[in-house]
Amino acid sequence: MRQADLELLMEALKDPMRNFVRESRVRICLLVNGAGQVLSQHGFTRSYEVMNVASLAASAHASARALGEITGSGAWRHMHHAGKERQLFLAPFKTPVQELILVAIFDEDSSLGLVQLFFDRLAGEVVALPQFMTARASKDAASFEKDLESGLETIFSNEPGQGT
Amino acid sequence: MSDDIFQAALERLSRVPGVRGALIVDTDAGVPVASELAADVDGGALAALAASLFKRTDRAIGAAAFGKLATLQLEAEEGHVIAGDAGDLIIVAIAERQAQLGLVRLEVHRAAQALR
Repeated sequence: MRQADLELLMEALKDPMRNFVRESRVRICLLVNGAGQVLSQHGFTRSYEVMNVASLAASAHASARALGEITGSGAWRHMHHAGKERQLFLAPFKTPVQELILVAIFDEDSSLGLVQLFFDRLAGEVVALPQFMTARASKDAASFEKDLESGLETIFSNEPGQGT
Repeated sequence: MSDDIFQAALERLSRVPGVRGALIVDTDAGVPVASELAADVDGGALAALAASLFKRTDRAIGAAAFGKLATLQLEAEEGHVIAGDAGDLIIVAIAERQAQLGLVRLEVHRAAQALR
C-alpha cells in the first residue's frame, strides 16, 4: 500500500480500534493485512514484538486458509487459543481493498464471546471507512518489505508506547 | 452434561408465561451453550454481555463481602433479563414486562440447580 494511503488509513482506523479495545477489554491487539503490514496496534511497546506478531498472524492466516481449502471446509472465521492466564483471538475480515487480520490478546477481564461480538462491530466499521475507497493494495512482491517497514515506522513514530 | 439436560431446563423455563426466551451460557467464554430464543434475539451478543455483566457483578458482590452472586435481575423499559449462577454456566431468561417475575426467578433457580 502506498505510504500516503497507509497514513490515511491508519488515522481512520484509530477510532474503531480504540472503541474495540474499550468495549471488548482486550489487553493487546493488532490489525495487519495479509502481507503482515501493520495498520494499527494497541498495547505493544516494542516494534520487534509488533513485527513478530504481525508476521506470525499473516502466516497463521495463510496456513489456516490453505488448510480450509485442502479440507474443503472453506474460509475460517476465527482462531482461539485459551491459555491459563491469557487468551489469543485471531480473525480475518474482508475490506474493499484487502483482507485484514485482527490479533487480540485478552485475560479474565474479557471473554471469547465479548471479543467475537465487538470484533464483528469493528469489522463492520472498518469496512465502511471511506478511506478504503481510495486506497490501493500493493500489487508487486518488491513492495512487500517496504510496506512492512513503512507500517511499523508510521505506528511507532506517531505514538510511541500505546498505539491505535 | 448431556444436551437433554440443557434442553429440558430451557423448555421448562420457556413455558413460564411471559418468558420470551432462555439460554445457557459458558460463564468464562461468554458463549451460548444452548438456547431457545426468538429469531430476532442475537444469542451471541446476549450471552457475551450477560456473562460479562454477571462476572463483574459477582466481583463487586465479592468485594462487598456478600459471598457469591446467585441471581442477577435487570429491569428495562420493555422487559427483564434474569440470570442465575449454575456453576461454570449461567442460565439467562428474557421476560416481558408483565411476566410473573417470582415464577421466572424460581424457574431460573431450579434450572440452575439442575445444571450444577
